[in-house]
Amino acid sequence: MLYKILGKNEYEDFLSDLISKNEVIGPKKKDGAYSDFVAIKDPKEIDTDYQKTTLSPAKKILFPSTEDLVAFKISDTIEAEGIVEYEQKVLLGINAWDINGMNFLDRFFTTDFIDENYLAKRKALTVIGTDSVPTENNFAHHMNSEYAIEGFDLYFSDLGDRFFVRAATEKGNRLIEDFPRFLDTSEDDFKEFNRYMEDYRAKFKLNINMKNFIDNFESIYDKEQLWQKLAEKCYSCGSCNLTCPTCFCFNVKDDINLDLKTGQKLREWDSCMIPEYGLVAGDHNFRPDKENRLKQRYKCKLITFKQKYGKNSCVGCGRCIEACLAKINIAEDINTIMKEVSI
Amino acid sequence: MGKPKVGIFGFTGCGGCQLEILNLEDQLLDLVSAVDIVHFTEAITEHSDDYEIALIEGSITTEHDVERIEKIGSIANVIVAVGACAVSGGLNCLKNLYGTQKAAELVYGDKKDWIDTIEVKPVDAYLKVDHYSRGCPPNRFEIVDIVRSLLLGRQPEIPNYPVCVECKRNGNTCVYELGMTCLGPISRAGCDSRCPNSASGCEACRGVIENPNVNAQKDLLAEHGLTVKDIMSQFNLYNACKGKNIE
Repeated sequence: MLYKILGKNEYEDFLSDLISKNEVIGPKKKDGAYSDFVAIKDPKEIDTDYQKTTLSPAKKILFPSTEDLVAFKISDTIEAEGIVEYEQKVLLGINAWDINGMNFLDRFFTTDFIDENYLAKRKALTVIGTDSVPTENNFAHHMNSEYAIEGFDLYFSDLGDRFFVRAATEKGNRLIEDFPRFLDTSEDDFKEFNRYMEDYRAKFKLNINMKNFIDNFESIYDKEQLWQKLAEKCYSCGSCNLTCPTCFCFNVKDDINLDLKTGQKLREWDSCMIPEYGLVAGDHNFRPDKENRLKQRYKCKLITFKQKYGKNSCVGCGRCIEACLAKINIAEDINTIMKEVSI
Repeated sequence: MGKPKVGIFGFTGCGGCQLEILNLEDQLLDLVSAVDIVHFTEAITEHSDDYEIALIEGSITTEHDVERIEKIGSIANVIVAVGACAVSGGLNCLKNLYGTQKAAELVYGDKKDWIDTIEVKPVDAYLKVDHYSRGCPPNRFEIVDIVRSLLLGRQPEIPNYPVCVECKRNGNTCVYELGMTCLGPISRAGCDSRCPNSASGCEACRGVIENPNVNAQKDLLAEHGLTVKDIMSQFNLYNACKGKNIE
Protein backbone atom coordinates (compact mmCIF):
# COMPACT_ATOMS: atom_id res chain seq x y z
CA MET A 1 0.00 0.00 0.00
CA LEU A 2 1.23 3.44 -0.95
CA TYR A 3 0.12 6.38 1.24
CA LYS A 4 -0.10 9.96 -0.02
CA ILE A 5 -1.65 13.32 0.80
CA LEU A 6 -3.58 15.51 -1.61
CA GLY A 7 -4.71 19.09 -0.87
CA LYS A 8 -8.37 20.03 -1.34
CA ASN A 9 -7.65 22.45 -4.21
CA GLU A 10 -5.45 19.90 -5.92
CA TYR A 11 -8.25 17.34 -5.59
CA GLU A 12 -10.53 19.48 -7.83
CA ASP A 13 -7.81 19.56 -10.47
CA PHE A 14 -7.18 15.84 -10.07
CA LEU A 15 -10.87 15.17 -10.80
CA SER A 16 -10.92 17.53 -13.82
CA ASP A 17 -7.84 15.80 -15.15
CA LEU A 18 -9.39 12.37 -14.56
CA ILE A 19 -12.67 13.34 -16.25
CA SER A 20 -10.88 14.81 -19.26
CA LYS A 21 -8.99 11.56 -19.84
CA ASN A 22 -11.49 8.85 -18.85
CA GLU A 23 -15.10 7.84 -18.76
CA VAL A 24 -15.84 8.58 -15.11
CA ILE A 25 -18.89 7.18 -13.32
CA GLY A 26 -19.72 9.02 -10.12
CA PRO A 27 -22.57 9.90 -7.75
CA LYS A 28 -25.08 12.49 -8.88
CA LYS A 29 -28.27 13.65 -7.11
CA LYS A 30 -31.28 11.79 -8.44
CA ASP A 31 -34.62 12.01 -6.66
CA GLY A 32 -35.84 12.07 -3.07
CA ALA A 33 -32.98 11.08 -0.77
CA TYR A 34 -31.34 9.07 -3.54
CA SER A 35 -28.33 9.59 -5.75
CA ASP A 36 -27.27 7.46 -8.69
CA PHE A 37 -23.91 6.65 -10.21
CA VAL A 38 -23.86 8.00 -13.76
CA ALA A 39 -21.34 9.37 -16.27
CA ILE A 40 -19.79 12.56 -14.90
CA LYS A 41 -18.74 15.32 -17.29
CA ASP A 42 -17.89 18.04 -14.78
CA PRO A 43 -16.59 17.72 -11.18
CA LYS A 44 -19.41 20.08 -10.09
CA GLU A 45 -21.98 17.39 -10.94
CA ILE A 46 -20.59 15.07 -8.28
CA ASP A 47 -22.78 14.66 -5.21
CA THR A 48 -19.99 14.57 -2.64
CA ASP A 49 -22.39 14.03 0.30
CA TYR A 50 -24.39 11.19 -1.22
CA GLN A 51 -25.87 8.75 1.22
CA LYS A 52 -28.26 6.44 -0.59
CA THR A 53 -28.15 4.73 -3.96
CA THR A 54 -30.74 2.11 -4.97
CA LEU A 55 -28.04 -0.18 -6.37
CA SER A 56 -24.38 -0.74 -5.72
CA PRO A 57 -22.49 1.19 -8.41
CA ALA A 58 -19.97 -1.64 -8.76
CA LYS A 59 -22.59 -4.32 -9.31
CA LYS A 60 -24.43 -2.09 -11.77
CA ILE A 61 -21.31 -1.78 -13.93
CA LEU A 62 -19.78 -5.24 -13.54
CA PHE A 63 -22.88 -7.41 -13.45
CA PRO A 64 -25.61 -5.41 -15.22
CA SER A 65 -29.26 -6.34 -14.64
CA THR A 66 -29.56 -7.64 -18.21
CA GLU A 67 -26.65 -8.77 -20.34
CA ASP A 68 -26.30 -10.64 -23.65
CA LEU A 69 -24.05 -13.69 -23.32
CA VAL A 70 -24.19 -15.56 -26.62
CA ALA A 71 -25.32 -14.74 -30.17
CA PHE A 72 -26.54 -17.78 -32.10
CA LYS A 73 -27.67 -18.69 -35.57
CA ILE A 74 -29.60 -21.84 -36.39
CA SER A 75 -29.36 -23.29 -39.90
CA ASP A 76 -28.34 -26.87 -40.71
CA THR A 77 -25.92 -26.43 -37.86
CA ILE A 78 -25.94 -24.15 -34.85
CA GLU A 79 -23.38 -21.37 -34.77
CA ALA A 80 -22.82 -19.66 -31.46
CA GLU A 81 -20.49 -16.88 -30.48
CA GLY A 82 -19.81 -15.54 -27.01
CA ILE A 83 -20.52 -11.88 -26.38
CA VAL A 84 -18.16 -10.20 -23.94
CA GLU A 85 -18.69 -6.46 -23.71
CA TYR A 86 -16.59 -4.07 -21.65
CA GLU A 87 -15.35 -0.51 -21.65
CA GLN A 88 -12.55 1.17 -19.75
CA LYS A 89 -14.22 3.08 -16.93
CA VAL A 90 -13.32 4.87 -13.73
CA LEU A 91 -15.69 4.34 -10.82
CA LEU A 92 -15.33 7.35 -8.56
CA GLY A 93 -16.78 7.78 -5.08
CA ILE A 94 -17.73 4.19 -4.25
CA ASN A 95 -17.76 3.63 -0.49
CA ALA A 96 -16.07 0.93 1.58
CA TRP A 97 -18.99 -1.48 1.95
CA ASP A 98 -19.77 -1.39 -1.75
CA ILE A 99 -16.09 -2.06 -2.48
CA ASN A 100 -16.28 -5.02 -0.10
CA GLY A 101 -19.46 -6.13 -1.87
CA MET A 102 -17.55 -5.94 -5.15
CA ASN A 103 -14.71 -7.95 -3.59
CA PHE A 104 -17.23 -10.64 -2.81
CA LEU A 105 -18.50 -10.65 -6.42
CA ASP A 106 -14.85 -10.73 -7.64
CA ARG A 107 -14.34 -13.87 -5.63
CA PHE A 108 -17.65 -15.47 -6.57
CA PHE A 109 -17.29 -14.87 -10.31
CA THR A 110 -13.72 -16.23 -10.39
CA THR A 111 -14.04 -19.20 -8.01
CA ASP A 112 -15.19 -22.60 -9.31
CA PHE A 113 -15.69 -21.01 -12.74
CA ILE A 114 -14.42 -17.91 -14.50
CA ASP A 115 -17.21 -15.59 -15.59
CA GLU A 116 -15.61 -13.93 -18.62
CA ASN A 117 -18.29 -11.26 -18.87
CA TYR A 118 -17.73 -10.15 -15.28
CA LEU A 119 -13.96 -10.45 -15.38
CA ALA A 120 -13.53 -8.41 -18.58
CA LYS A 121 -15.54 -5.55 -17.09
CA ARG A 122 -13.71 -5.82 -13.77
CA LYS A 123 -10.28 -5.64 -15.42
CA ALA A 124 -11.39 -2.57 -17.36
CA LEU A 125 -12.56 -0.80 -14.18
CA THR A 126 -10.50 1.64 -12.15
CA VAL A 127 -11.89 2.00 -8.65
CA ILE A 128 -11.49 5.18 -6.64
CA GLY A 129 -13.13 4.95 -3.25
CA THR A 130 -14.21 7.47 -0.68
CA ASP A 131 -16.24 7.27 2.52
CA SER A 132 -19.92 8.11 2.51
CA VAL A 133 -22.20 8.71 5.49
CA PRO A 134 -23.91 5.50 6.62
CA THR A 135 -27.72 5.51 6.87
CA GLU A 136 -29.42 4.54 10.14
CA ASN A 137 -29.92 1.02 8.72
CA ASN A 138 -26.28 0.46 7.90
CA PHE A 139 -24.46 -2.22 9.91
CA ALA A 140 -21.27 -2.47 7.87
CA HIS A 141 -19.26 -2.25 11.11
CA HIS A 142 -20.70 -5.63 12.16
CA MET A 143 -19.71 -7.13 8.81
CA ASN A 144 -16.12 -5.84 8.75
CA SER A 145 -16.90 -3.77 5.70
CA GLU A 146 -16.94 -0.18 6.92
CA TYR A 147 -13.27 -0.11 5.89
CA ALA A 148 -11.78 -1.45 2.67
CA ILE A 149 -8.27 -2.87 2.50
CA GLU A 150 -8.42 -4.11 -1.09
CA GLY A 151 -10.45 -3.93 -4.26
CA PHE A 152 -9.80 -0.24 -4.88
CA ASP A 153 -6.99 1.39 -6.84
CA LEU A 154 -7.14 4.63 -4.85
CA TYR A 155 -9.07 5.50 -1.69
CA PHE A 156 -9.55 9.08 -0.52
CA SER A 157 -10.28 9.79 3.15
CA ASP A 158 -11.33 13.37 3.87
CA LEU A 159 -9.26 14.80 6.76
CA GLY A 160 -10.91 18.22 6.45
CA ASP A 161 -8.25 20.34 4.79
CA ARG A 162 -6.66 17.50 2.83
CA PHE A 163 -7.17 13.93 1.69
CA PHE A 164 -5.34 10.92 3.05
CA VAL A 165 -4.89 8.74 -0.02
CA ARG A 166 -4.24 5.02 -0.15
CA ALA A 167 -3.09 3.32 -3.37
CA ALA A 168 -3.62 -0.46 -3.30
CA THR A 169 -2.61 -1.43 -6.83
CA GLU A 170 -0.15 -0.69 -9.65
CA LYS A 171 -3.00 1.09 -11.40
CA GLY A 172 -3.43 3.31 -8.34
CA ASN A 173 0.31 4.02 -8.17
CA ARG A 174 0.26 5.10 -11.81
CA LEU A 175 -2.63 7.49 -11.20
CA ILE A 176 -0.49 9.11 -8.49
CA GLU A 177 2.57 9.26 -10.75
CA ASP A 178 0.52 10.83 -13.53
CA PHE A 179 -0.61 13.69 -11.29
CA PRO A 180 2.55 15.03 -9.66
CA ARG A 181 0.85 17.06 -6.92
CA PHE A 182 0.39 14.21 -4.41
CA LEU A 183 2.56 14.78 -1.33
CA ASP A 184 4.34 12.33 0.92
CA THR A 185 2.73 11.48 4.23
CA SER A 186 4.07 12.51 7.63
CA GLU A 187 3.61 10.77 10.96
CA ASP A 188 0.98 13.39 11.85
CA ASP A 189 -1.01 12.49 8.76
CA PHE A 190 -1.20 8.87 9.92
CA LYS A 191 -2.23 9.94 13.41
CA GLU A 192 -4.90 12.16 12.00
CA PHE A 193 -6.08 9.40 9.65
CA ASN A 194 -6.45 7.06 12.61
CA ARG A 195 -8.42 9.71 14.50
CA TYR A 196 -10.55 10.21 11.40
CA MET A 197 -11.32 6.49 11.18
CA GLU A 198 -12.26 6.41 14.84
CA ASP A 199 -14.75 9.26 14.28
CA TYR A 200 -16.01 7.63 11.10
CA ARG A 201 -16.62 4.28 12.81
CA ALA A 202 -18.62 6.08 15.51
CA LYS A 203 -21.16 7.03 12.84
CA PHE A 204 -22.34 3.42 12.62
CA LYS A 205 -24.99 3.21 15.33
CA LEU A 206 -26.83 -0.06 14.78
CA ASN A 207 -26.20 -2.59 17.49
CA ILE A 208 -26.59 -6.19 16.34
CA ASN A 209 -26.08 -9.35 18.30
CA MET A 210 -23.95 -11.08 15.65
CA LYS A 211 -21.92 -12.98 18.22
CA ASN A 212 -22.32 -16.74 17.94
CA PHE A 213 -24.95 -16.27 15.24
CA ILE A 214 -23.32 -18.81 12.95
CA ASP A 215 -22.87 -21.40 15.69
CA ASN A 216 -26.49 -21.07 16.73
CA PHE A 217 -28.13 -20.83 13.34
CA GLU A 218 -28.67 -24.58 13.05
CA SER A 219 -30.62 -24.64 16.29
CA ILE A 220 -33.27 -22.24 14.99
CA TYR A 221 -33.30 -23.66 11.46
CA ASP A 222 -36.40 -25.80 12.00
CA LYS A 223 -38.36 -23.34 14.16
CA GLU A 224 -41.14 -22.95 11.62
CA GLN A 225 -43.27 -20.56 13.66
CA LEU A 226 -40.37 -18.18 14.09
CA TRP A 227 -39.72 -18.07 10.34
CA GLN A 228 -43.43 -17.71 9.58
CA LYS A 229 -43.55 -14.71 11.89
CA LEU A 230 -40.46 -13.12 10.35
CA ALA A 231 -41.76 -13.62 6.81
CA GLU A 232 -45.43 -12.84 7.45
CA LYS A 233 -45.43 -9.48 5.68
CA CYS A 234 -43.11 -10.51 2.84
CA TYR A 235 -44.42 -9.61 -0.64
CA SER A 236 -42.00 -12.04 -2.33
CA CYS A 237 -41.09 -9.08 -4.52
CA GLY A 238 -37.33 -9.63 -4.57
CA SER A 239 -36.48 -6.02 -3.72
CA CYS A 240 -34.04 -7.21 -1.04
CA ASN A 241 -32.09 -9.42 -3.47
CA LEU A 242 -32.22 -7.02 -6.37
CA THR A 243 -30.78 -4.12 -4.39
CA CYS A 244 -28.16 -6.30 -2.66
CA PRO A 245 -24.57 -5.49 -3.68
CA THR A 246 -23.59 -9.17 -3.44
CA CYS A 247 -26.61 -11.13 -4.75
CA PHE A 248 -25.28 -12.87 -7.82
CA CYS A 249 -28.14 -15.14 -8.96
CA PHE A 250 -29.22 -14.79 -12.54
CA ASN A 251 -31.60 -16.45 -14.94
CA VAL A 252 -30.57 -17.30 -18.51
CA LYS A 253 -33.08 -16.88 -21.33
CA ASP A 254 -33.12 -17.50 -25.06
CA ASP A 255 -34.30 -14.50 -27.00
CA ILE A 256 -35.04 -15.71 -30.52
CA ASN A 257 -35.71 -13.22 -33.29
CA LEU A 258 -38.84 -13.42 -35.45
CA ASP A 259 -36.83 -14.93 -38.31
CA LEU A 260 -36.69 -17.95 -35.94
CA LYS A 261 -33.05 -18.45 -36.99
CA THR A 262 -31.04 -15.90 -35.06
CA GLY A 263 -31.11 -14.80 -31.48
CA GLN A 264 -29.22 -14.31 -28.27
CA LYS A 265 -28.85 -15.93 -24.91
CA LEU A 266 -29.09 -13.34 -22.17
CA ARG A 267 -28.98 -13.27 -18.42
CA GLU A 268 -30.95 -11.14 -16.03
CA TRP A 269 -30.88 -10.70 -12.27
CA ASP A 270 -32.97 -13.31 -10.50
CA SER A 271 -34.24 -13.39 -6.93
CA CYS A 272 -34.50 -16.29 -4.48
CA MET A 273 -37.43 -14.51 -2.82
CA ILE A 274 -39.82 -14.93 -5.74
CA PRO A 275 -41.71 -18.25 -5.93
CA GLU A 276 -40.57 -19.09 -9.50
CA TYR A 277 -36.94 -19.25 -8.36
CA GLY A 278 -37.45 -22.73 -6.93
CA LEU A 279 -39.77 -23.93 -9.68
CA VAL A 280 -38.51 -26.82 -11.80
CA ALA A 281 -39.87 -29.12 -14.51
CA GLY A 282 -42.93 -31.09 -13.49
CA ASP A 283 -44.24 -28.05 -11.61
CA HIS A 284 -42.29 -28.95 -8.47
CA ASN A 285 -41.18 -26.05 -6.31
CA PHE A 286 -38.34 -26.50 -3.84
CA ARG A 287 -39.33 -23.42 -1.84
CA PRO A 288 -43.02 -22.71 -2.28
CA ASP A 289 -43.34 -20.90 1.07
CA LYS A 290 -42.10 -17.41 1.75
CA GLU A 291 -40.74 -18.37 5.18
CA ASN A 292 -38.45 -20.93 3.57
CA ARG A 293 -37.30 -18.38 1.05
CA LEU A 294 -36.51 -15.84 3.78
CA LYS A 295 -34.61 -18.46 5.75
CA GLN A 296 -32.65 -19.38 2.64
CA ARG A 297 -31.75 -15.73 2.03
CA TYR A 298 -30.56 -15.18 5.60
CA LYS A 299 -28.55 -18.39 5.46
CA CYS A 300 -26.95 -17.41 2.14
CA LYS A 301 -26.10 -13.91 3.39
CA LEU A 302 -24.89 -14.77 6.89
CA ILE A 303 -23.78 -18.41 6.97
CA THR A 304 -23.08 -20.08 3.62
CA PHE A 305 -20.20 -17.92 2.45
CA LYS A 306 -18.74 -17.44 5.89
CA GLN A 307 -18.24 -21.21 5.80
CA LYS A 308 -17.16 -21.30 2.15
CA TYR A 309 -14.96 -18.20 1.81
CA GLY A 310 -14.44 -17.25 5.45
CA LYS A 311 -16.34 -14.05 4.70
CA ASN A 312 -19.99 -13.10 4.80
CA SER A 313 -21.67 -12.20 1.58
CA CYS A 314 -23.64 -9.56 3.51
CA VAL A 315 -21.71 -6.28 3.80
CA GLY A 316 -24.30 -4.56 6.01
CA CYS A 317 -25.18 -1.76 3.61
CA GLY A 318 -28.82 -1.79 4.74
CA ARG A 319 -30.28 -1.53 1.22
CA CYS A 320 -32.50 -4.59 1.74
CA ILE A 321 -33.94 -2.93 4.84
CA GLU A 322 -34.58 0.33 3.03
CA ALA A 323 -36.04 -1.34 -0.07
CA CYS A 324 -38.49 -3.52 1.86
CA LEU A 325 -42.01 -2.10 1.87
CA ALA A 326 -43.02 -4.84 4.33
CA LYS A 327 -40.34 -3.51 6.71
CA ILE A 328 -38.54 -6.83 7.01
CA ASN A 329 -35.30 -5.88 8.68
CA ILE A 330 -32.35 -8.28 8.66
CA ALA A 331 -30.65 -6.39 11.50
CA GLU A 332 -33.70 -6.57 13.78
CA ASP A 333 -34.31 -10.17 12.74
CA ILE A 334 -30.79 -11.20 13.74
CA ASN A 335 -31.48 -9.80 17.19
CA THR A 336 -34.87 -11.54 17.31
CA ILE A 337 -33.30 -14.83 16.24
CA MET A 338 -30.50 -14.56 18.81
CA LYS A 339 -33.05 -13.78 21.52
CA GLU A 340 -34.88 -16.96 20.53
CA VAL A 341 -31.64 -18.91 20.85
CA SER A 342 -30.90 -17.60 24.33
CA ILE A 343 -34.33 -18.67 25.65
CA MET B 1 -46.69 -26.26 -44.10
CA GLY B 2 -47.55 -22.66 -44.96
CA LYS B 3 -47.33 -19.77 -42.61
CA PRO B 4 -49.93 -19.81 -39.83
CA LYS B 5 -52.88 -17.53 -40.48
CA VAL B 6 -53.61 -14.93 -37.83
CA GLY B 7 -56.65 -12.77 -37.20
CA ILE B 8 -56.39 -9.66 -35.02
CA PHE B 9 -59.79 -8.64 -33.65
CA GLY B 10 -61.05 -5.70 -31.63
CA PHE B 11 -63.90 -5.76 -29.12
CA THR B 12 -64.88 -3.16 -26.52
CA GLY B 13 -61.88 -1.03 -25.68
CA CYS B 14 -59.93 1.93 -26.96
CA GLY B 15 -58.21 0.08 -29.80
CA GLY B 16 -54.81 0.87 -28.31
CA CYS B 17 -53.71 -2.77 -28.19
CA GLN B 18 -53.97 -3.09 -31.97
CA LEU B 19 -52.09 0.17 -32.18
CA GLU B 20 -49.35 -1.36 -30.03
CA ILE B 21 -48.93 -4.09 -32.66
CA LEU B 22 -48.62 -1.39 -35.33
CA ASN B 23 -46.14 0.39 -33.04
CA LEU B 24 -43.79 -2.57 -33.43
CA GLU B 25 -42.29 -0.66 -36.38
CA ASP B 26 -38.82 -2.30 -36.43
CA GLN B 27 -40.31 -5.79 -36.09
CA LEU B 28 -43.49 -5.35 -38.11
CA LEU B 29 -42.03 -6.60 -41.38
CA ASP B 30 -40.54 -9.62 -39.60
CA LEU B 31 -43.92 -10.28 -38.01
CA VAL B 32 -45.84 -10.23 -41.31
CA SER B 33 -43.12 -12.43 -42.81
CA ALA B 34 -43.46 -14.98 -40.01
CA VAL B 35 -47.26 -15.19 -40.08
CA ASP B 36 -50.02 -14.46 -42.56
CA ILE B 37 -52.32 -11.77 -41.13
CA VAL B 38 -55.76 -12.33 -42.67
CA HIS B 39 -57.76 -9.98 -40.47
CA PHE B 40 -56.60 -6.87 -38.64
CA THR B 41 -59.50 -4.55 -37.82
CA GLU B 42 -57.39 -1.46 -37.35
CA ALA B 43 -54.89 -1.97 -40.15
CA ILE B 44 -56.19 -3.87 -43.20
CA THR B 45 -59.39 -3.84 -45.24
CA GLU B 46 -59.15 -7.46 -46.41
CA HIS B 47 -60.92 -10.09 -44.36
CA SER B 48 -60.92 -13.85 -44.27
CA ASP B 49 -62.62 -16.33 -41.97
CA ASP B 50 -59.79 -18.79 -42.40
CA TYR B 51 -57.29 -18.43 -39.52
CA GLU B 52 -55.66 -20.60 -36.85
CA ILE B 53 -54.59 -17.99 -34.35
CA ALA B 54 -56.81 -15.20 -33.02
CA LEU B 55 -55.37 -12.22 -31.17
CA ILE B 56 -58.28 -10.58 -29.40
CA GLU B 57 -58.34 -7.15 -27.77
CA GLY B 58 -61.25 -5.64 -25.85
CA SER B 59 -63.84 -7.00 -23.48
CA ILE B 60 -67.25 -8.48 -24.23
CA THR B 61 -69.99 -5.97 -23.43
CA THR B 62 -72.82 -6.45 -25.95
CA GLU B 63 -74.86 -9.34 -27.34
CA HIS B 64 -73.25 -8.62 -30.70
CA ASP B 65 -69.81 -9.03 -29.07
CA VAL B 66 -70.96 -12.42 -27.79
CA GLU B 67 -72.00 -13.55 -31.28
CA ARG B 68 -68.68 -12.39 -32.76
CA ILE B 69 -66.49 -13.96 -30.07
CA GLU B 70 -68.30 -17.28 -30.38
CA LYS B 71 -67.73 -17.27 -34.13
CA ILE B 72 -64.00 -16.60 -33.64
CA GLY B 73 -63.90 -19.42 -31.11
CA SER B 74 -65.43 -21.81 -33.63
CA ILE B 75 -62.69 -21.01 -36.17
CA ALA B 76 -59.41 -20.39 -34.31
CA ASN B 77 -57.35 -23.15 -32.69
CA VAL B 78 -55.37 -20.77 -30.52
CA ILE B 79 -56.81 -17.80 -28.66
CA VAL B 80 -54.57 -15.03 -27.35
CA ALA B 81 -56.20 -12.36 -25.17
CA VAL B 82 -54.37 -9.09 -25.72
CA GLY B 83 -54.52 -6.23 -23.24
CA ALA B 84 -56.29 -5.59 -19.95
CA CYS B 85 -59.83 -5.36 -21.44
CA ALA B 86 -59.53 -8.79 -23.06
CA VAL B 87 -57.61 -10.41 -20.20
CA SER B 88 -59.49 -9.18 -17.12
CA GLY B 89 -62.25 -6.97 -18.51
CA GLY B 90 -60.09 -3.97 -17.72
CA LEU B 91 -61.49 -0.51 -17.12
CA ASN B 92 -64.80 -1.55 -18.69
CA CYS B 93 -65.55 -3.58 -15.57
CA LEU B 94 -66.14 -0.35 -13.67
CA LYS B 95 -69.53 -0.42 -15.41
CA ASN B 96 -70.41 -3.61 -13.52
CA LEU B 97 -69.87 -1.82 -10.21
CA TYR B 98 -72.79 0.50 -11.05
CA GLY B 99 -74.96 -2.21 -12.57
CA THR B 100 -75.61 -2.35 -16.32
CA GLN B 101 -78.89 -0.43 -16.33
CA LYS B 102 -77.69 2.27 -13.97
CA ALA B 103 -74.53 2.79 -16.02
CA ALA B 104 -76.54 3.04 -19.25
CA GLU B 105 -78.80 5.59 -17.65
CA LEU B 106 -75.90 7.64 -16.30
CA VAL B 107 -74.28 7.84 -19.72
CA TYR B 108 -77.22 7.88 -22.14
CA GLY B 109 -80.03 9.28 -19.97
CA ASP B 110 -83.48 8.78 -21.54
CA LYS B 111 -81.87 7.20 -24.62
CA LYS B 112 -80.54 4.28 -22.57
CA ASP B 113 -82.81 1.79 -24.34
CA TRP B 114 -80.94 2.43 -27.58
CA ILE B 115 -77.94 0.77 -26.04
CA ASP B 116 -77.51 -2.99 -26.10
CA THR B 117 -75.30 -3.43 -23.05
CA ILE B 118 -74.65 -6.52 -20.93
CA GLU B 119 -72.42 -7.28 -17.96
CA VAL B 120 -68.76 -6.78 -18.93
CA LYS B 121 -66.74 -9.97 -19.14
CA PRO B 122 -63.22 -10.81 -20.26
CA VAL B 123 -62.59 -13.06 -23.26
CA ASP B 124 -62.02 -16.15 -21.12
CA ALA B 125 -65.60 -15.96 -19.85
CA TYR B 126 -66.58 -17.16 -23.35
CA LEU B 127 -63.56 -18.94 -24.83
CA LYS B 128 -60.68 -21.00 -23.52
CA VAL B 129 -57.75 -18.60 -23.72
CA ASP B 130 -54.34 -20.15 -24.47
CA HIS B 131 -52.15 -17.13 -23.80
CA TYR B 132 -52.58 -13.79 -22.07
CA SER B 133 -50.72 -10.65 -23.03
CA ARG B 134 -51.62 -8.44 -20.11
CA GLY B 135 -51.49 -4.72 -19.55
CA CYS B 136 -52.92 -1.40 -20.62
CA PRO B 137 -51.44 -1.11 -23.11
CA PRO B 138 -49.90 -4.57 -23.40
CA ASN B 139 -46.16 -4.86 -23.89
CA ARG B 140 -45.83 -5.15 -27.67
CA PHE B 141 -42.64 -7.17 -27.35
CA GLU B 142 -44.52 -9.68 -25.24
CA ILE B 143 -47.11 -10.03 -28.04
CA VAL B 144 -44.22 -10.84 -30.39
CA ASP B 145 -42.86 -13.30 -27.82
CA ILE B 146 -46.20 -15.10 -27.68
CA VAL B 147 -46.46 -15.33 -31.50
CA ARG B 148 -42.84 -16.49 -31.70
CA SER B 149 -43.40 -19.10 -29.01
CA LEU B 150 -46.47 -20.40 -30.87
CA LEU B 151 -44.35 -20.75 -33.99
CA LEU B 152 -41.64 -22.60 -32.09
CA GLY B 153 -44.06 -24.71 -30.06
CA ARG B 154 -42.77 -23.58 -26.69
CA GLN B 155 -44.18 -21.70 -23.70
CA PRO B 156 -43.63 -17.95 -23.70
CA GLU B 157 -41.84 -16.75 -20.55
CA ILE B 158 -44.34 -14.40 -18.95
CA PRO B 159 -43.43 -13.21 -15.48
CA ASN B 160 -45.59 -13.95 -12.47
CA TYR B 161 -43.40 -11.90 -10.17
CA PRO B 162 -44.26 -8.38 -8.99
CA VAL B 163 -43.38 -5.13 -10.73
CA CYS B 164 -40.80 -4.44 -7.97
CA VAL B 165 -38.45 -6.93 -9.65
CA GLU B 166 -38.29 -4.91 -12.87
CA CYS B 167 -38.32 -1.63 -10.98
CA LYS B 168 -35.23 -2.63 -9.01
CA ARG B 169 -33.49 -4.01 -12.10
CA ASN B 170 -34.05 -0.58 -13.59
CA GLY B 171 -32.52 1.07 -10.53
CA ASN B 172 -35.59 3.21 -9.87
CA THR B 173 -36.12 5.05 -6.62
CA CYS B 174 -39.23 3.45 -5.09
CA VAL B 175 -42.24 5.69 -5.74
CA TYR B 176 -43.18 5.34 -2.06
CA GLU B 177 -39.91 7.16 -1.32
CA LEU B 178 -41.19 9.92 -3.58
CA GLY B 179 -44.36 10.29 -1.51
CA MET B 180 -46.71 8.39 -3.82
CA THR B 181 -48.46 5.02 -3.60
CA CYS B 182 -48.01 2.06 -5.92
CA LEU B 183 -49.56 -1.37 -6.42
CA GLY B 184 -46.24 -2.71 -7.72
CA PRO B 185 -45.58 -5.15 -4.84
CA ILE B 186 -48.68 -7.24 -5.69
CA SER B 187 -48.97 -6.58 -9.44
CA ARG B 188 -47.67 -8.65 -12.30
CA ALA B 189 -44.48 -7.48 -13.96
CA GLY B 190 -43.82 -7.80 -17.67
CA CYS B 191 -44.23 -4.11 -18.46
CA ASP B 192 -40.59 -3.31 -17.60
CA SER B 193 -41.99 -1.27 -14.67
CA ARG B 194 -43.23 1.29 -17.17
CA CYS B 195 -45.11 3.60 -14.75
CA PRO B 196 -42.55 3.65 -11.89
CA ASN B 197 -39.85 4.33 -14.52
CA SER B 198 -41.64 7.66 -14.98
CA ALA B 199 -41.99 8.20 -11.21
CA SER B 200 -45.64 7.23 -11.15
CA GLY B 201 -47.31 4.44 -9.15
CA CYS B 202 -48.31 1.10 -10.67
CA GLU B 203 -52.09 0.63 -11.13
CA ALA B 204 -52.01 -3.15 -11.63
CA CYS B 205 -53.07 -3.02 -15.28
CA ARG B 206 -51.54 -6.49 -15.73
CA GLY B 207 -53.54 -7.86 -12.80
CA VAL B 208 -52.26 -9.18 -9.51
CA ILE B 209 -49.68 -11.95 -9.09
CA GLU B 210 -50.76 -15.47 -8.16
CA ASN B 211 -50.16 -15.13 -4.43
CA PRO B 212 -50.35 -11.43 -3.60
CA ASN B 213 -49.76 -10.40 0.00
CA VAL B 214 -52.94 -8.35 0.06
CA ASN B 215 -52.90 -7.75 3.81
CA ALA B 216 -49.41 -6.28 3.66
CA GLN B 217 -50.47 -4.11 0.73
CA LYS B 218 -53.59 -2.83 2.53
CA ASP B 219 -51.50 -2.00 5.61
CA LEU B 220 -48.98 -0.21 3.43
CA LEU B 221 -51.55 1.89 1.60
CA ALA B 222 -53.36 2.71 4.85
CA GLU B 223 -50.02 3.79 6.31
CA HIS B 224 -49.74 6.19 3.39
CA GLY B 225 -53.08 7.77 4.22
CA LEU B 226 -55.47 5.82 1.98
CA THR B 227 -58.90 4.78 3.23
CA VAL B 228 -60.41 1.35 2.51
CA LYS B 229 -62.50 3.03 -0.20
CA ASP B 230 -59.40 4.56 -1.83
CA ILE B 231 -57.65 1.21 -1.63
CA MET B 232 -60.56 -0.62 -3.27
CA SER B 233 -60.80 1.94 -6.03
CA GLN B 234 -57.07 1.45 -6.71
CA PHE B 235 -57.53 -2.33 -6.85
CA ASN B 236 -60.69 -2.02 -8.95
CA LEU B 237 -59.39 0.32 -11.62
CA TYR B 238 -58.26 -2.52 -13.87
CA ASN B 239 -59.42 -5.51 -11.91
CA ALA B 240 -63.07 -5.02 -10.91
CA CYS B 241 -64.23 -8.12 -12.84
CA LYS B 242 -61.54 -10.36 -11.38
CA GLY B 243 -60.93 -8.52 -8.15
CA LYS B 244 -63.05 -10.72 -5.93
CA ASN B 245 -60.00 -12.51 -4.58
CA ILE B 246 -58.58 -9.25 -3.23
CA GLU B 247 -61.65 -7.84 -1.49
